[in-house]
Amino acid sequence: MNGASMGRLVERGIITFSWLAGAILFTVICAVTGYLCFRGLKTMSPALIFGSTDPMSALLLRQRVFDGLFPAMVGTLLLVLLSVGWAIPIGTAGGIYLAEYAGGGTKKIFNLLFDLLAGLPSIVIGLFGFSLTLFLNRHVSKELHPCLLMSSIALAFLILPYIVRTTQIALENLPVQNRLTGLAMGATRLQNLFHVLLPQALAGMVSGVLLAIGRCAEDTAVIMLTGVVASAGVPRSLLSHYEALPFYIFYISSQYADQQELATGYGAAILLLFICLFLFAVAFVIKKSLPCQVFSQR
Amino acid sequence: MQSSTQPFVPSPVKIRVSNLFFSYNGREVLRDTSLEFPEHAITAIVGPSGSGKSTFLMTLNRLWEELPQCAMGGRVEIMLNGIPQNIYAPDCGVEALRRRVGMVFQMPNPLPMSIFKNVAFPLQLAGEKDKNMIHRRVEETLRDVGLWDDVKDRLAGSALSLSGGQQQRMCMARAMILRPEILLLDEPASALDQKAAEAIEHLLVRWKQNCTILIVSHYLDQVKRIADSVVELHDGRLRNRQVSTSRVSL
Repeated sequence: MNGASMGRLVERGIITFSWLAGAILFTVICAVTGYLCFRGLKTMSPALIFGSTDPMSALLLRQRVFDGLFPAMVGTLLLVLLSVGWAIPIGTAGGIYLAEYAGGGTKKIFNLLFDLLAGLPSIVIGLFGFSLTLFLNRHVSKELHPCLLMSSIALAFLILPYIVRTTQIALENLPVQNRLTGLAMGATRLQNLFHVLLPQALAGMVSGVLLAIGRCAEDTAVIMLTGVVASAGVPRSLLSHYEALPFYIFYISSQYADQQELATGYGAAILLLFICLFLFAVAFVIKKSLPCQVFSQR
Repeated sequence: MQSSTQPFVPSPVKIRVSNLFFSYNGREVLRDTSLEFPEHAITAIVGPSGSGKSTFLMTLNRLWEELPQCAMGGRVEIMLNGIPQNIYAPDCGVEALRRRVGMVFQMPNPLPMSIFKNVAFPLQLAGEKDKNMIHRRVEETLRDVGLWDDVKDRLAGSALSLSGGQQQRMCMARAMILRPEILLLDEPASALDQKAAEAIEHLLVRWKQNCTILIVSHYLDQVKRIADSVVELHDGRLRNRQVSTSRVSL
């Protein structure tokens, strides 16, 4: 076999493998969502979310929902929004520092530290959140105990590396010429960052937020140690206990009494998917609309 | 007998480069270069690819300082507002310098914003708040580069929607809106068709009345058409190739 035909064979092999990998990915996604729908779709009804409570009364927080997933959905949504809300400013600032200002040695050290943080198991972050809560309870305020606030702070630590890294990479990947454009016009480094670099890096940075949203919505280990409970109702404040869908799924799947109860676990998984899809859609719309706002300014 | 032609009066020196050294990543790009550039003239810089022509331009507005692993030695003196200034002196503000020494890059580099905002951007960076003045100056500059009629109805549209030639003329308008004393051009017509390149050449010839122009070019025809003098970068050193009062012969 000569070199040319061997090359063609290798090329065909790579193409086949790529198609196969794509097909496997597609099959896995279809299988997981299909199985969830098969097991959980029959439970999908207003009763799954609101139980025996009137939906309007539940939505207006006039009546507490005891036998539905509404409190867990609100808890999950608040948890994701709070965690991403803490992590975005800190993570973005960290990414900007690493990409634009950190020198050789400092950059190497911080890169290593963020890689380590990204690799930490979530149970370790949960344990850290729990220890932090105990510390704050002893030394700052007796009011502080495992709650929504502490969970969101611990989760923010978990997702911080995603946001730092995507911001850093989005900025570092901008072509050198784009970087020099504003500076050549007399922009200061800060003007160049805010007016030229960040608007162009925005799409990449939002990808990090998307990853972070998914990570927050699915994590159970961190929140188990920092404030989630099986039954708490809609959280009344940041210092309240709360319910969350991933914990509900874990709790039901490990302690279900009958098949009906297990089916509500599958229903909760479908709801969690929908919440993630909703948050992804919001982030996607922001990603698409932000550069347009920059374009349209006169 | 009195000569019928006017005596040759050399233009005043606008840029004086002395003992310039430059290295990138440890590799010496410019070595012991000393040269003077006349005011209100187009000076073409020619030389083989990768010889350091673009780097040399960046030593005149200190843009190389934004690149990693670069080092420079020597002195660059520019006549700014009629006063010679060492641009590497600690009291020389780099932003103020770059507003007086404009630059146009090889590839058109519109920012992802509207056409209007692109052209007005240097004024806004300089802190200009007078909206009427900004609008007036944008219109004047776009008319100057012959782009106004093409874009006046879509100033709020994305600059990325312009053709390559239009983008480059917009970038030239952007570089000229602050009325710089020196304009550095790094092969501005290399990515354009002949018609667009000729439009840019006409502009440069017009602009040299108010501005000192240094242009890096690979096209000898272009150099012949527009340059008043030519310097060649060879083996890390700049040297005058041939000078005449209007055009050069290569």
